[in-house]
Amino acid sequence: MSAGRMSAGERTPRRRMPRSGRGWTIGLSAWFAVAVVFLLAPIVAAFVYSFNVGTLGKQTATFTGWTLDWYPIAWQDDSLRRSVTTSLEVACWVAVLGLVVGGTLGLALVRHPSARVRRLLSGLTYILLIVPETVIGVSLLLFYAQTTIPLSMATLVAGQTPVVISVVALIIRSRALTLDRGLEEASADLGAGRLQTLVFVVLPHLAPAIAAGALMSYAFSFDNLVISTFLTTPEVGTLPVYLYGSLQYGPSPAVYAATTAISVVTIIGLGLALLVMRIGGRRV
Amino acid sequence: MSRPTAPRRRGDHVLAGIPVAWLVVFFLAPLGFTVVYSFGVSTFGGVRLGFSFDNYRTALSGIYLKTFLATARYAVISCVLCIAAALPVAYFIARRAGRHKTLALAIVLIPYLTSFLVRVMSWQILLARGGAAEHLLNALGLHAGPLDVLDTRTAVYIGTVYAYLPIAIVPIYVVLDRVPAELFEASHDLGGSRLKTFVHVTLPMSRPGIATAVLLTAVPMLGELVIPQLLGGGKGLFMGQAISSQYLKSQNYALGSAMAVLVLAAVTAIVAILARLTKGFDEVGG
Repeated sequence: MSAGRMSAGERTPRRRMPRSGRGWTIGLSAWFAVAVVFLLAPIVAAFVYSFNVGTLGKQTATFTGWTLDWYPIAWQDDSLRRSVTTSLEVACWVAVLGLVVGGTLGLALVRHPSARVRRLLSGLTYILLIVPETVIGVSLLLFYAQTTIPLSMATLVAGQTPVVISVVALIIRSRALTLDRGLEEASADLGAGRLQTLVFVVLPHLAPAIAAGALMSYAFSFDNLVISTFLTTPEVGTLPVYLYGSLQYGPSPAVYAATTAISVVTIIGLGLALLVMRIGGRRV
Repeated sequence: MSRPTAPRRRGDHVLAGIPVAWLVVFFLAPLGFTVVYSFGVSTFGGVRLGFSFDNYRTALSGIYLKTFLATARYAVISCVLCIAAALPVAYFIARRAGRHKTLALAIVLIPYLTSFLVRVMSWQILLARGGAAEHLLNALGLHAGPLDVLDTRTAVYIGTVYAYLPIAIVPIYVVLDRVPAELFEASHDLGGSRLKTFVHVTLPMSRPGIATAVLLTAVPMLGELVIPQLLGGGKGLFMGQAISSQYLKSQNYALGSAMAVLVLAAVTAIVAILARLTKGFDEVGG
């Protein structure tokens, strides 16, 4: 990686470019291009190597030949399937809980009448974000062990919520700040109760933030390794934990095939969701 | 910012009460346990509660102290590298990408749609002897002969910068995007050179973004577990791995807790420094 120097340029292409202006633009574009290659290279490598023959069923760094076998092998692998199912289930629960708890927190950050409470809540939101996952994981492991709560899917889901709650709260807060209070007052003046106002005025306005929050929670949970490492049991193992465990014996290219397939499905699903939102009428 | 509203007590209490109750049980209480245990004495597979600083004495001496310092150093270096790489990218997206802003941002965020673990594992393939990185560097004349970076500190740095780059780009981009273009033009019209404009306009303007980026990268780096394990060959031990093994392998909960509390102390130090350096810290995540 070469050292990138940069400087501020101005965006006046129609006026005469300063002497160095074009050079900076080229430099910045080149840096961006290098960064994109850097960010996408491992993804491309994972895709290509999901078709690698490998040796003795293990992935190799040198490409040994093309094969399509790993995809059906991954599809038929029972433990892999079980871990994907577990991951999906956990991610759904985390998204739901994250939305409920994080959503109320986000609203409270904007709407709570007491400034002191708002400050405390906002402090709590940031603390959630900055405690390293390793610390959250070991703390929960200790906590569950000492309170003799057996580890299960519920404890795993609960363990993943703190980070998610924080992210959802911040997204909801930034959207709620743009909500005109007059609308709520108008709704109240027209005889709506608080719950009706919430359902018919506030929630529709928050819809994009709710969707984004749910998506991010789901993605975080599905990909979470560190917190899950401490809280999985032989019965409840998520995909990342299962993959991480399989690394000790050298991963099979089937791992690459499975994750590539999942990524493709995710991207297609996301694309469809965006399309539906586009078609599904104007966003508030 | 307090608003004179009619007392709508119950709803407000519910609104604040739900998240607080949930977080007390599933976040604050466990952290409290960890703090309490860090002063206890480890017994076989458990902890006898007490009040001694023995665990901290152990955690701040010998190999444990080395690990702690190595982790701090790693977090600082990785964070600096990450911000240095992210700044031009964020600047480019905010000021030069024009109509393609959203697309450029989407490309940067694509990695989040794929498995983190497999992306890190792919670096093992890319950085291996005779791998893609070696061919590329040889072709560019930046490196001659076989590349032996896997299982070294260098590989850990590459993997870490890679993993955290998007998180560093986004907050800086958000802040730079809000700066009106006129500011840059004004600096220019007043005869500011590019370097001067950068030092006196761009950097001060992007400070809250950089602070957020530092927070979102340096802090998780202090607990980083997976990247050193996979790309560093598990050799150069960091705090994340050390804490994890105290809990999962040697079952020394008291010492593990003390180490976790030390990491939290380091996190607090970072936050305090950042808060000192930037006013308007409420920009985080906004």
